[in-house]
Amino acid sequence: MLWTGESGRWLLQGLLTTLELSALAWLLAVALGIVAGALRTVRFAPLRWAATSYVEFFRNVPLLVWMFFWYFGVPPLLPRAVQDWLFNHGAEFWAGMLALGVYHGARISEVIRSGIQSIPRTQFEASVAMGLTTFQAYRLIILPVALRLIVPPATNESLNLLKNSSVALTISVAELTFQTRQIETYTAKAIEALTAGTVIYLVLCLSIATIMARVERRYAIPGLIARVGPAA
Amino acid sequence: MKKTVAVVLVLAAGLALAGPVVAQQDTLEKIKSSGVLTIGTRTGSPPFAYINKNNEWVGFTIDLVEMLVKPSVEKAVGKSIKVEKKESTPPTRIPLLTSNSVDLIAGTMTDTPQRRESVDFSLTFFYTGAQFLVKKGSPIKSINDIGGKRIAAQQGATNAKIIREKYPQAQLREFPDQPAAFQALLQGQVDAYTNDGIQLYGLKAKAPNPNDWDVVGDFYSEEPYGMAMRKGDTKFKAAVDAGLKNGFESGKYFEIYDKWFGPKGELPYPMTPPVKAYLLKQIGK
Repeated sequence: MLWTGESGRWLLQGLLTTLELSALAWLLAVALGIVAGALRTVRFAPLRWAATSYVEFFRNVPLLVWMFFWYFGVPPLLPRAVQDWLFNHGAEFWAGMLALGVYHGARISEVIRSGIQSIPRTQFEASVAMGLTTFQAYRLIILPVALRLIVPPATNESLNLLKNSSVALTISVAELTFQTRQIETYTAKAIEALTAGTVIYLVLCLSIATIMARVERRYAIPGLIARVGPAA
Repeated sequence: MKKTVAVVLVLAAGLALAGPVVAQQDTLEKIKSSGVLTIGTRTGSPPFAYINKNNEWVGFTIDLVEMLVKPSVEKAVGKSIKVEKKESTPPTRIPLLTSNSVDLIAGTMTDTPQRRESVDFSLTFFYTGAQFLVKKGSPIKSINDIGGKRIAAQQGATNAKIIREKYPQAQLREFPDQPAAFQALLQGQVDAYTNDGIQLYGLKAKAPNPNDWDVVGDFYSEEPYGMAMRKGDTKFKAAVDAGLKNGFESGKYFEIYDKWFGPKGELPYPMTPPVKAYLLKQIGK
């Protein structure tokens, strides 16, 4: 009965907001993760330090604090007119997206770093010996291999990101959990609303996990992480 | 082993049956035999009921019980009684009442039709309604000015519901608690914060610069506060109401109001003529 009428509309709106928020934050997180993860393995020390400070700073502070930081902390630094424009155009959504993306970027970069470091150093040396620059070696050889190796832990991080998007309700982003709470207060049907929310998250996460399992099988590098035998 | 399981099952069944059958007690009889009127009230809702700097449990609602309700109940039971206070919060107050742990909820409870299905309410002893807290000089003067404006509310509050349904032109931002909503107002994330007027006056008083803020607009929701009792206990309700009625008639109620909400009170919240008329109308004046 929650799927019909106003409650159903709220759930759908919440679902769309959650997907939009998570998808944008995921893109940001992956981009930041790849850059920071790669930089943490280069020879040039200042770049390594910069990447390390980013990762340690952002992953060691709770996500909730980052939500408040981007929503309450950053806007006052901007000119008043810009602030007003932002607040009228969904500032809370963008603050939530940044908080989620930057936080998970730091966590994904660790996954990527571990992928890069699992590749024998000789591969990098061989590519440089073939005449590639460091940047080319990373872009053409190291990262493509590393990204395939890390599909399982990266899936894990992505699912976490999706579920963590619910923290954005603290800065008034009307995502899925926000809407289930709203239904709860309006209709006093707490159990039904929570069940609906849980089922939606579960279905979302299971679909992502299934898709990623396919990706993993498709792009597996034989001899590195190819699944063997019945485990597939 | 089987035996133990059987015993546990029987016990559980017994408890399940016994649970709801707590005898419906006559509250006045109970007070007469124990000599104690137990109230459920708040510890952190100044100035209604709170622990003050001297570690005393005081407040407007507690004064109403001590000075108006207690004498009336004493008259009904024919002996002098003591008032005992217990902490009660929104989620615990109705269970405390139905389990006979307390006899009267006297805090900041709004009298609503939904709640009337499970408890009885006394005469209204305080009346507030939703208003707006804005920066001084704001173009928002009432609910008619909120179109296109960013309005903060508390998640799940009745006033958020009203704005969503009747004023969809406003941009509603809902926060999980009052501090977050007020922070958003302080920083300009929103143009106004809406809640019960009395709450807004409390926030304004606590703000870094109280004079920078204004509470504006007529009440666009009704929040009458009442004292709650077990449902169907007419004799006890009559005694409580008689105490409050007597307070309205003699003016004693207004003295107590002035002590807490007057210009020199804990939280100045002048009583407007419509509110006074509303309160007096209850006793047919």
